[in-house]
Amino acid sequence: MTHEIDRRHFLKMSGTVLAAAPAVLAAGPAALAAGVAQPAGGKQGAPFVSTHRMLDLPKARGPRLVIIGGGTSGLTIAKHAKKAYPKFDVVLVEKRCMYSSCFASNLWYPGIVNLEFLADHSFLDAAHNGGYIYVNATCIGLDRASRTVATNEGDIKYDFLVVAPGISYDYDKIGVHDIDAKVALRQTYPGGFICPTEHVTIHRKVHQFEGGVFIQTVPSGNYRCLPAPYERACLIASVIKHNKLKGKVVILDANPEITIKAPGFHAAFDELYKGIIEWHPTAAVTGVDVAGRTVHTEFDSYKFDDAAIYPNVRAATLIEELDLMAPPTKSNQKEANIDIRFYNLIGDQRVYVTGDSRPMPYSKSGNTSNSEGHYVAKVLAARAQGKDIAWTSPQTLCYSMVDAFPKQAIWVDTYYGYDAKKDAITGFKDTKVDNKRSEANGTAYLEWARGLYRDMFKA
Amino acid sequence: MDRRAFVKVCAGTAIAAAWWRGQPALAASIADHPPARLVNADGSPLKAADVPTTEALVFAYPYRGVPCFLINLGARAAHPATLASPEDGDYTSPAGVGPHANLVACVAICTHQLSYPTPDYSAIRYADSASPLAGAPGRIVCCTHGSVYDPAAGAARVSGPAPNALLPVQLAWDAESDGLAATGCVGDKFFARFFDAYKSDLIDRFGPGGYHQPVGETTVAIPLSRHSAAVSTC
Repeated sequence: MTHEIDRRHFLKMSGTVLAAAPAVLAAGPAALAAGVAQPAGGKQGAPFVSTHRMLDLPKARGPRLVIIGGGTSGLTIAKHAKKAYPKFDVVLVEKRCMYSSCFASNLWYPGIVNLEFLADHSFLDAAHNGGYIYVNATCIGLDRASRTVATNEGDIKYDFLVVAPGISYDYDKIGVHDIDAKVALRQTYPGGFICPTEHVTIHRKVHQFEGGVFIQTVPSGNYRCLPAPYERACLIASVIKHNKLKGKVVILDANPEITIKAPGFHAAFDELYKGIIEWHPTAAVTGVDVAGRTVHTEFDSYKFDDAAIYPNVRAATLIEELDLMAPPTKSNQKEANIDIRFYNLIGDQRVYVTGDSRPMPYSKSGNTSNSEGHYVAKVLAARAQGKDIAWTSPQTLCYSMVDAFPKQAIWVDTYYGYDAKKDAITGFKDTKVDNKRSEANGTAYLEWARGLYRDMFKA
Repeated sequence: MDRRAFVKVCAGTAIAAAWWRGQPALAASIADHPPARLVNADGSPLKAADVPTTEALVFAYPYRGVPCFLINLGARAAHPATLASPEDGDYTSPAGVGPHANLVACVAICTHQLSYPTPDYSAIRYADSASPLAGAPGRIVCCTHGSVYDPAAGAARVSGPAPNALLPVQLAWDAESDGLAATGCVGDKFFARFFDAYKSDLIDRFGPGGYHQPVGETTVAIPLSRHSAAVSTC
């Protein structure tokens, strides 16, 4: 049992993401009431993109809170903001009309759960149970001066806006610059960390794998779900072992050490998958030849039969399009320019960015977004009532399945610290880790996911 | 006196004569529910002396679908605590009962995201020894997201994401027979949310409507390790 996770990795993330964060503090509710200067929206002076008609919605019966994005962050905030301040008239805008979770999706590949486990959760039920409105639409523009958010179905006026669009891939950072190559790579060897359709493709790959080399890459930076690529490698290896295939999983890791739960993963690699998993540290991808099925790193090239190429991540491109992005001095992953404690856009207490588009060095993971969502809901309720609220840390409790036959998992549970003098998130706090894999942990993992579904979709 | 009222009074008198009916709710906010004597799986009365210290016993109360823990705190005594439920309001948790005031009961549904012991599995348990998440011995731990509760302090939250304590169940103990009964609890609004969250599962297990039926005059208490096929040990 160890109570440390890779401190170096945390410092690396904080260093790249936050070290330059200036001590910009929220102006406080008084400033909100007085009317904070709110510049017009649109990307760097670009015109406001809109359908130029209002979305047909019932008249707001209280301050309208519009939430863009129905992932873990948006769903949690929609429900809990309404609970925290029932006067809120909440509208959740989500471009998908069918939910399927990214968290726990690795468990589908070896058949530990089925697709129903991930996807049998209705946006309609969530909205009905949570007392809010679900709109199936795509956000296309924002005009902060008139507090109007545009969707492909029409415009919506807001009193408070939460933008929670998640992540986009950054293929340029793995040396894939050509648009033909980017499209081919994304369609043929998807990362599997954004869209459910990527999960379907990877599920098909795992089931159709008859042997040879399967490459799983691990990017640098603060990518979504630190342990997930290692977990996926273990689960694919588990299938190879179970099916007695002549094959192996090659992990090309941009990082010098496994980024989280390293002892638990190393134990699984050594004890369960000797000869089946090959882990290559400090092997950042510098290019991919899709047609030639070859991944290039600085020193070597690796041929593969199939692969899941996980490129670097950045905040969703919507953050850039809506002109909510921090300058490169504050985020090298194009994340949002927000107050790191209260999530409002710097200079605008009507607009908030949450979930994996945030610049804070929190784990970009389901449990983090869920616990953060509980807190942001309280921030919004406080701001709507002109009250102050104390900062509380999100929680990252994260299980990783390292074996499928039988299912065995390890876990880490951590919170984060805040340094008021530096106005910076300082690192992991109150960390507990169980690197000893067990079936009891494996079963708890499933309940962990079910709990999150309940919290987002039930009353 | 009309006949209906007479029957009611007679019934009340007869009930008051039984020990398990004789103890009024100590905390005003603990709702009276029809009392239920705790029995073993074979129907024989459960004796306080037979409650183990190593794990919780699970029993249903006040409804068939609501699981509760009966816990023997061993050398620790339970003291009343002033607590609050966001849905069901303020209350004072009952003191421990039994010859050593070390028997307590609480609703075994995590107040964070409603994990509870099912026949297949339980993520929530009483751990008499320390564990990675619990830290100290004698805690109730929910492995789902790491909530930890102290059963000696009204099952108040110690750490983790739970917003409030596990809800209390009031026990009565009869010195003469060493018997135990559940006599009241807090949580009617919480139970409604729990039933809503698990309606499909509860209908499968108890039949339509069965889960919100009162347990009746007796309720079976069995060790968690027998109640649930697998129990997490975080």
